[in-house]
Amino acid sequence: MTLLREAYAEFVRTFGNVLFAVSLFVVWGLLTLVGVVVDQGQDPSQYFQSYAAPVARAILRLNFDNVYHSPWYVGIVALILLSLAVCTFKRVIPARLPPLRPVSVEKMPLHATFETQGDAATVRRRLADLLTARGWRMRDRVFGGIEWSFADKDEWARRGVLVAHAGFVIIAAGTTLYWARGFSGEMAVVKGTTAQVERTGALVRLDDFAYKIAPIMTKSGMVYQPIDYVSNVTVTGSDGVPKQMTVRVNHPIDVDGTLYYQSSYGFAMRFALSRYGRPDTALAGRTLLEGDSFEIPGTSQSVVYERFAPTIDKQSGMPTADPRVNNPAVVLSLTQGGSSLGEALVPVGGSVDLGNGWRLTAQNYALYSGFQYRRDPGVPLVGIGAFVLLAGLIVSFYFLPARLYLRVTELGPGRCEVGAAATTVKGYDVFESEFRGLMVALNPVT
Amino acid sequence: MRMPLDELLIAISLAAYTLGAIALLLYFFSRDERQRKAGAALAIAGCASQFAQLIVRFETTHVWPLLNLYGSLSLFAAMSVAIYLVFAYRYKLWFAGGFVLALAAIFLAYGVTWYEGTMPPVPSLQSYWAKIHVPIVVSSYAAFLVAFVFSALYLFKYYAERAVEKSGDRGAFSAWLAALPSLPQLDVVVYRAVAVGLPLISVGIITGAMWAKEAWGAYWQWDPKETAALFSWIIYLAYMHLHTRHAWRGLRTSWVGVIGFLSIIFCYLGVNIWISGLHSYKV
Repeated sequence: MTLLREAYAEFVRTFGNVLFAVSLFVVWGLLTLVGVVVDQGQDPSQYFQSYAAPVARAILRLNFDNVYHSPWYVGIVALILLSLAVCTFKRVIPARLPPLRPVSVEKMPLHATFETQGDAATVRRRLADLLTARGWRMRDRVFGGIEWSFADKDEWARRGVLVAHAGFVIIAAGTTLYWARGFSGEMAVVKGTTAQVERTGALVRLDDFAYKIAPIMTKSGMVYQPIDYVSNVTVTGSDGVPKQMTVRVNHPIDVDGTLYYQSSYGFAMRFALSRYGRPDTALAGRTLLEGDSFEIPGTSQSVVYERFAPTIDKQSGMPTADPRVNNPAVVLSLTQGGSSLGEALVPVGGSVDLGNGWRLTAQNYALYSGFQYRRDPGVPLVGIGAFVLLAGLIVSFYFLPARLYLRVTELGPGRCEVGAAATTVKGYDVFESEFRGLMVALNPVT
Repeated sequence: MRMPLDELLIAISLAAYTLGAIALLLYFFSRDERQRKAGAALAIAGCASQFAQLIVRFETTHVWPLLNLYGSLSLFAAMSVAIYLVFAYRYKLWFAGGFVLALAAIFLAYGVTWYEGTMPPVPSLQSYWAKIHVPIVVSSYAAFLVAFVFSALYLFKYYAERAVEKSGDRGAFSAWLAALPSLPQLDVVVYRAVAVGLPLISVGIITGAMWAKEAWGAYWQWDPKETAALFSWIIYLAYMHLHTRHAWRGLRTSWVGVIGFLSIIFCYLGVNIWISGLHSYKV
């Protein structure tokens, strides 16, 4: 039992230590930086191409290729949340200004002593009136026959850190709610076709898709700037009534609480396969998106539809940077067992010899629109958490809980000495200029 | 050929910052009031000219001027000078202005090299969030620049004082050094600048997440820019936590202030220029 109690005390001591929290921040920061510097989610071969073999091996073994979902990253965030919880209960909630007790004014780093006119009661009243007018809360206490005045300002603001920590917890709760109850996915819908969202059963038909490109001559050459992506869709939700809607970037649509976002676009292709001039049915009715592949029947070779080249320069025969369709072609690659056997640029309407009598014709293209859909019941909580976090930060940075100790001693008839000292929850330096200004206000003669 | 008004205003700002930096650097060494007044006037003129340039550019092109490096670096320089001016006026810290203005001039001149003419924004940038998120984030960077300058001055004074103490020299340099604000005062200024920057970058990250949610469907995609901003945020969060400890306040937190600004530069320029991602808006 004693061992358990000691272990608990050690745990609280360690996790309640600010320096431990900062150490966790440092590790968190470094892991985050790894994710910025090392490309995430690449094929392992990419790392061996980009880095020396030992470094690439280390990246893969330490999960640095997917660092944000690695045990290290999730673990460090969990430790930070734990540290945040312990600090909140051990340090933040109990944090308060010292109890109302007399202090050795001269020994405090922020102190001042001055003489002033009037009897003790009058001086005390004058000081109290001035401080009250400036928002200080006055309290008088007698210790050993000496009357002390204590003035507190913005004491409520010591809760700022607690509020900021609460904001984190609410954000974490909102994110957890998404993991538990939300979902997201992606889908590509070819113009004129309908796709169904499995999770909701909603039907999305792409009636039309258009993209607008503005060719602009800049100082360093022609730039083809995309300025709009528009998907006109007919959506059938849970009520069974088809509705026509428009999806644009930054303008998602809401269908039964699930949001649909415009995320990408591309060119779907129809190909025709033939052998020795006889049509083959392997690709009949299939539409391929960029990146899709198919196997040549009876062989171990595959053809990959790599990408669409909207404009081929008529003189050089090479793709240009212009994304508008004008003399289009497709880039195809032939692979066997994962290795590339070669690449070909095939004009739309043209064909390419695949060997052994096989021939592939790039028949025609159709635009497709990529949508991301997402249902996130945690949104309101994350919003509230963000607001609470900011409120906490602002309170803790811009309101400084401070305590003034005032001792008025009668020196003679109509003459008093005022001893003043101050402390804050953030040390003394941060309050020095305000304290000096306050002393000038309390004793205008000086 | 006549120079367009917005380019003329940028040229005026650049000249004002350069001359103002020289005047305030001279003031830093000589404490001649005339140099301070000239430097302050030039800083105000340059800053006003830059804000005027941003307004003129918006009025003539009808394109939000902060959507590329040229525009955002321009606001960064202007906000750095504006925040410095508030600090200088409020806390009587004119002596540091030369460094702030020199950095502002360098960043502004670098921004001009990215100027490619007016371009309509790409679809993801066509959002009201551009008018909220970008100025807030850039302002936070500006506050961190001011914090960096005072952190560097803290470190300079700290190590110079130690050197003077070691050598036993009590000459003119020692007297000049003593006339600079005290180390605790410099530390408080750094704290106050970080206290401006940290809530701003927090709001910036939150508004960025809200914008990302609207544009791409997810608050957070672990894009290099997002994670680099998170890295900087963590550093300044560590700063604020360390600042609560008396033993760490001052020297060590000033080093954190310097490292924090380097991370900001990496986040701002390094990620935009060298690492491709969802935030690669250069021109």
